[in-house]
Amino acid sequence: MSESTSANTPKPSSSVKLVLLGEAAVGKSSLVLRFVNNDFQENKEPTIGAAFLTQKCSLPTRTIKFEIWDTAGQERFASLAPMYYRNAQAALVVYDVTKPSSLTKAKHWVAELQRQASPGIVIALVGNKLDLTNDGNETPGESATNDEGATPAGEGEGADGEGQADEEEEEQEATPGDARKVSTQEAGTYAEEEGLLFFETSAKTGVNVVDVFTAIANAIPESSLKSGRGPGAGTGQTTLGGARPAEDSRVNLGERSAATAKEGCAC
Amino acid sequence: MPSTEAQRQRSAYKKPRSGQTELIKPESENFPFEDASVYSPQDAQSLPSRRYTLSLSPQLIYCRSNLLPTLISSKVYRQLEFQAVGSWWIHRSQADSSGDANLYRVPGSREDVFADDKITVKSKRTLMRFLRHIGKTQHDTEPPQGAEEDESMASPFSTYLESKFQVPAELLDPLLSLSLSQASPQKTSAAYAVPRIQRHLASIGVFGPGFGSLLAKWGGGSEICQVGCRALAVGGGIYVLNSGIESIRQPVQGEHDARLKVQLSNGETISTKHVFGSHWDLPTDNHPKCDRVARSISIVSSPLEGLFPVAAEGAPTPAGAVVVFPGTSLGQADDAPPVYVLVHSSETGECPPGQCVLYSSISIAGEAGQSLIEKAVNKLLESAADPNAQVSWSLRYTQLGRSDYDFPGPLAMTLNHVSDNVVCFPPPSLDLSFDDTVIGTVKDAWRLAMGDEVVDDEFMKFEDREGAYDEE
Repeated sequence: MSESTSANTPKPSSSVKLVLLGEAAVGKSSLVLRFVNNDFQENKEPTIGAAFLTQKCSLPTRTIKFEIWDTAGQERFASLAPMYYRNAQAALVVYDVTKPSSLTKAKHWVAELQRQASPGIVIALVGNKLDLTNDGNETPGESATNDEGATPAGEGEGADGEGQADEEEEEQEATPGDARKVSTQEAGTYAEEEGLLFFETSAKTGVNVVDVFTAIANAIPESSLKSGRGPGAGTGQTTLGGARPAEDSRVNLGERSAATAKEGCAC
Repeated sequence: MPSTEAQRQRSAYKKPRSGQTELIKPESENFPFEDASVYSPQDAQSLPSRRYTLSLSPQLIYCRSNLLPTLISSKVYRQLEFQAVGSWWIHRSQADSSGDANLYRVPGSREDVFADDKITVKSKRTLMRFLRHIGKTQHDTEPPQGAEEDESMASPFSTYLESKFQVPAELLDPLLSLSLSQASPQKTSAAYAVPRIQRHLASIGVFGPGFGSLLAKWGGGSEICQVGCRALAVGGGIYVLNSGIESIRQPVQGEHDARLKVQLSNGETISTKHVFGSHWDLPTDNHPKCDRVARSISIVSSPLEGLFPVAAEGAPTPAGAVVVFPGTSLGQADDAPPVYVLVHSSETGECPPGQCVLYSSISIAGEAGQSLIEKAVNKLLESAADPNAQVSWSLRYTQLGRSDYDFPGPLAMTLNHVSDNVVCFPPPSLDLSFDDTVIGTVKDAWRLAMGDEVVDDEFMKFEDREGAYDEE
């Protein structure tokens, strides 16, 4: 269709709107803080207001700039949530692996996103606070790129590895001192059924945090990037000329000062 | 959360004490919208509703609007995407066109006038004289004074054009269309039209060649509201949707908490120093008189590409266009008001590719206005090159607000104190372009809320949250 737009530029950059959803205190803001600043705050205050943060994620063929909307628990006003996830291309639905009720809440969010959000939205289910489990304890803090605990669901690949992880899981759950209450298998199976990306993370140690965002970046369909953010823009039967590249219609307000000065003395 | 829960339960059982001031929202609900009806053809396939973002109150934003510096100083513009509104089109009745397309592109700048091949050389000369005149006055700090100018400005714009500049009558409708006046030509005074045409011309080129006004992608004004709510949230505010005010109780003298108690329709009670809202939001019987316009939203099964030409070298592809149907082009008398149609392409994100959205408006509310809108929409679709262009869905409604054709004066823009610390905004403008007076009214409200702490220069200046924009 319109591959000409990206042919000349070496590495196209696209913005991706990503929203965070999940029960209070599961570590939504901490995940973002780890991803954006590689930082962690013990006993972080609940987020007051909402944070809007950006972070670039470099892929081999393109750069994705995440616009991250941290909902600050305000999504508890159910009617408010659509404002957050409208036009979002990705959602991070977070639960706490030590708190079963938070997975129930996460499932509600997934259902709502599937019903209401943009078609084609990439949803990642993330079990946070892995450091409170035995899996997390064994993982050194620096190895943020370690694959342990990552279980990308959906494509059916690595099903064997997943099975093994689950067996380990069952054993570890019995170990004293392990605060885990949600097994990897339970959440992973659910994620696979619903076609979600799935990771277990620790914002505290950094395990898998970058991986979540990289996996999301890779999962965003190229077609939705070409014409800017938006539900399925540029896909489908677009032969009628509606799929012009977004850059063509975008007006940059930053050009005002220069243009205004010129305008002022010209007439 | 638990405390709110407890508070809610307490308030539910609490009976109002006697003797206190309590404003209770009247039973009869009233809204800024009336008489809504949905039309969809019988053979219509159901549309994918999630692919649409429609606006009940669409407005274009002139590049010289004070809204833009406000969006920039508050830094919220970074979460918005702006697109150009390109051409203005005017519909001519068949009689005066010789087989040409019935839509005529209005020359919106001096360059356009030179390039136009429909206007005679003589008319061009008078038109340029007029454009020069208003171009001059717009850069003077003082508008031209004197009894003569005052008098001519009070007369209808048509009289003003003819008597002062000998502009031929055929150019009246195109010039009026640039003013976006929704009144009939006779009722549009020069004092109303001239500054608005000036604004149109002065806005061209501000953000790039070939266009003078903007729209915000993903739904226009509602998208700006959303970004505003976000800025509020980043600042620590909370917003709640789908919940109205049931009643407001003034604090009783000597009461420990001197704040207003606001009972929300979702059952919660909140305490606050001030309440601001429109008279549709607040429990008050004091309803200002509103004007009414007929409006409709139509989803069209064609992109109507011909309406969005790139007007100049290096100009962005417009996502919006304005089509004006003078009353006479719809078979009405000279004194009939025009129908305006704002056309949004799928680039706006409001509809899927291959379609477009028509936002129509006329200052005659009710069935009479709606039938003129329908006529205009049909003519627009007939004049499109695409034989498949059809309305696949439409919503018709009446909108209430303020039309400012006859200069209601500053009172229309002032805040109205319903009771202590309960403040009512005037009805919003029904203008098709963003009404800059809103910003002044909002600033007045902000001053009231800030009280002694107010620092005028800080209005709408927000600091970035630390780390949020490291790379920019």
